[in-house]
Amino acid sequence: MQRIPLTPREDWQQKVESAGLTFHTLEDGTANGDPYWDESAAYQFTAAEIDTLEAAGNTLQEMCLAAAQHIIDQKRYAELDIPAEAIPAIEWAWNNEPPALYGRFDLSWAGAESGHAPKLLEYNADTPTSLLEAAVIQWNWVKEMDHNKELSAFGSLDQFNSIHEKLIAKWKDIDPFLSKPIYFAALDNPEDQLTVTYLRDTAEQAGLPTLQMYMEEIGWNDEQQAFLDPNEDHMFSIFKLYPWEAMLQEEFGPHAIDTYQSTRWIEPIWKMLLSNKGILPILWQLYPNHELLLESHFDSPGTMADYVRKPLMSREGANITLVRDNATIATTGGPYNGPQIDQALAPEAVFAKENGDRRHPILGLWMIDQNCCGLGIRESAGPITDNFSSFVPHFFI
Amino acid sequence: MRRSTQVAAPLLAAAALAITTGCRKPEMQRCVDENNRVVADNFCASQPNQQQQQRPDGHGGFIFIPMLYHYYYGGWGGYGLGSTVGGGRLTPSWGRSYINSSGRTLRGGFGRSFSEGGSHFSGHAGGAGE
Repeated sequence: MQRIPLTPREDWQQKVESAGLTFHTLEDGTANGDPYWDESAAYQFTAAEIDTLEAAGNTLQEMCLAAAQHIIDQKRYAELDIPAEAIPAIEWAWNNEPPALYGRFDLSWAGAESGHAPKLLEYNADTPTSLLEAAVIQWNWVKEMDHNKELSAFGSLDQFNSIHEKLIAKWKDIDPFLSKPIYFAALDNPEDQLTVTYLRDTAEQAGLPTLQMYMEEIGWNDEQQAFLDPNEDHMFSIFKLYPWEAMLQEEFGPHAIDTYQSTRWIEPIWKMLLSNKGILPILWQLYPNHELLLESHFDSPGTMADYVRKPLMSREGANITLVRDNATIATTGGPYNGPQIDQALAPEAVFAKENGDRRHPILGLWMIDQNCCGLGIRESAGPITDNFSSFVPHFFI
Repeated sequence: MRRSTQVAAPLLAAAALAITTGCRKPEMQRCVDENNRVVADNFCASQPNQQQQQRPDGHGGFIFIPMLYHYYYGGWGGYGLGSTVGGGRLTPSWGRSYINSSGRTLRGGFGRSFSEGGSHFSGHAGGAGE
């Protein structure tokens, strides 16, 4: 695994925009923010390293499913701060297996030469984004860069990325279990709307009729005991890019629970068990010292001197505390309170830019169905990946 | 090859074009009271379109009564009666269209967690993804 500096393509902004990525530049309050889509470098892997990552994703998926079964069997919901009223729906969904589509494992790794296995940082199992960047934009990039003189020494370039094909195949697979149209709902911002537009695109290409709307436009009709679209039509199948823990706290949350068995929500509500940071100490309890895991505990670092403290339900690097030698070395602010977990710091995975600046990559492994089928890399200047981190393409040889 | 043989996303490209050219969907228009709590639309519809009402004081003059109800455009919150709205405007924005609630169907019951005071979600994000 290497970080290769590159010259960005001419008109790269126009190229990624026309393919669907309008949010390619970070909003830092200036006219010229740093790039979010950063093709001034790429990560290069060997085929063997990609095999390692693919196997890691598939193994972690099996472990997470076993952990979800364990949580349900042992009723460990309170440790995950999951509200009691959601439990019947979670258990119904787990037992009846309504359609689930995708998720993204975030791992830390510096490649085979580091001597370490990839380490799981968290599982974004409910509302993963950076999807169109991974599936479409970096695919276009590698296709064009395959003939670029800066990378000619590597021969033909490949990429760990069959996300697009797998998504279309998965929609075809779950088609019989979904009423039509399938609604795609997200907040009113370019990233979320374009992410669900891309997912909608793959569903349409699989032959499923779709409609798209804002989360705020989802209507509830008490007389019909049903969710209605803006045309007052009944919504039976809804893909929502919106976390279950937020839905349950909002006005319509009780209705979602009460009507859960008659509505196909994607992702299903049992994904709350995996998208919760509490899955990390539970995995560690079930698979102690597993090479893909980092030691993790609820509410206490135990004997660990180097660890990261994360709220159960934080996102985008918010409310994180890094501790090294029992001293806090970094913290981030944010709106997330409540119970926390402590997870051992991963072996350092840092790469240098040409100017010597340190870059910390996080490897996002995409799971479609139960298969690991793609890689997207977020990179940041510090050890905490946040919403100012950039997306850097990859290839392998 | 470990990558997709073909990646075509025409809906995505069209949506990106719509965003970059400024095409937007309508925003919510709700009738609210002086505390920005949603009330039925007919409260606003029955009021004159001005910031203050005048009422004779019985002595040849007028007393001025602040508008109890007014329309609220865009922002967070939904159409739910009694729910609170914010982050929007007292006047419609030029070039935007607005829709009010319809019939007995309530809207806006999802989506509030990430729009209320959402300035901490910045960078490339601002959304509900992770």
